[in-house]
Amino acid sequence: MTKILNHHPKIEMLVELSAGTLDAATAICVSSHLHFCKSCRNEAARLDSVGAQLMYDAIPETIDDSLFDEIMSRIDQPQSVNEPVPEKPGINGFPAHVNKLIHEAKRTPIWERLSKSMEIAKLFTGQSKFEVALHRIGAGGVAPRHDHRGLEYTVVLKGSFSDEKSIYTEGDFIIREPGDVHQPMGAKNGECICLSAQEAPIKLTSFLGFFLNPWLRVNPM
Amino acid sequence: MEKIRAAVEKNNRSAAKVAIFKSTEKRDDEWSILLVEVGATQSRCAFAQLFEHFAPLLKSFAQASRQEGWFPDLAEDLVQEVMIKVWQKADGYNPQRASATTWIYTIARNCRIDMLRRKCNTQHMLLENEDYWHDPDEQTPVSLLRQKRTEQHVKVSLGLLPREQNTILRKVYLEGKSHAEASQEFNLPLGTVKSRVRLGLQKLQILVAPEFKEELIND
Repeated sequence: MTKILNHHPKIEMLVELSAGTLDAATAICVSSHLHFCKSCRNEAARLDSVGAQLMYDAIPETIDDSLFDEIMSRIDQPQSVNEPVPEKPGINGFPAHVNKLIHEAKRTPIWERLSKSMEIAKLFTGQSKFEVALHRIGAGGVAPRHDHRGLEYTVVLKGSFSDEKSIYTEGDFIIREPGDVHQPMGAKNGECICLSAQEAPIKLTSFLGFFLNPWLRVNPM
Repeated sequence: MEKIRAAVEKNNRSAAKVAIFKSTEKRDDEWSILLVEVGATQSRCAFAQLFEHFAPLLKSFAQASRQEGWFPDLAEDLVQEVMIKVWQKADGYNPQRASATTWIYTIARNCRIDMLRRKCNTQHMLLENEDYWHDPDEQTPVSLLRQKRTEQHVKVSLGLLPREQNTILRKVYLEGKSHAEASQEFNLPLGTVKSRVRLGLQKLQILVAPEFKEELIND
């Protein structure tokens, strides 16, 4: 996992992650990239020292003495012993928080067929700004050509795919803006699984897509 | 001749590695030492000293928030929640990776997000913000050294940044505003806000020029 990736989140996303203001869905995607990208992981850790120093330099507020006692009494309360939760086997190589979303959702994600070579499994994330989902493109599969009405973030979790612009491999973070048209193609040598967060419906631009569009509604859950 | 040169170079390189190892020794500031003590011996005395120093700063941090859904009454709740986490997690603190201040800041930031989400969301949140956080697990001496240098550099230089850059960093980190919100409040184009943040971070030597990135990774 120390390979050098070519496609990273923007620096402002790392700043907002470090400041704790990035929305939940985008944070899920950026953190997934960090799982694969050492250089961004280190950058994020360095960014934390800015927040830390700003906090350190703040003018201290007065604290009531009772607060310390209250904390100590909470600490002294007998801890409810948490049974160690048996770790469910996640998908090997996936970021832990993505495996958590897959395994601990109230509704198990279901793969739905989107086209001949593409499937989607929507993930429950408890926010409504983006639809977060896993996409699977079969080996050598070609996704319908589509454009984007809203922002879309994609992180490759397994395998690789390409489009007119580039090849994307595990960990790459791809930003699609409204108006971008592209046609992803899965690598010939194996399936590709991506995590994506999509702000608004994508619109298929091909003739076939015209009929598929109604099924591509975005449903944040 | 070639051989000698190679030998000298090899020697220099290992000397450099030793120097790096030495300088990545653990943090020796007062707070990091106390935090290690809490983790190792559950010392209430050390914890009380940490509380005395950090609780007023945490309260200040909590009161600075101008996020939607946040209100000042939450400040003491945040102090309480953070300090309890400090007590519970202190044994996992590694003074080689970060100073106590940075470590406590990340707990405070995560608690702030989780409290906000709990307040704003009626829906069940599956992930706590801690889940997003990736421990830089496989750090090399070079990246540890860089992290330590950054902390030292930020300590000295943050106050020396041009006011416009400092103000925006405060807005983003303390008030908890996104770049987009900051641009609205300052009535500045989003691009200007982003470039001020970048400039500030470059001055603090946090952003690494792309050509150095490979070097760091390959070490």
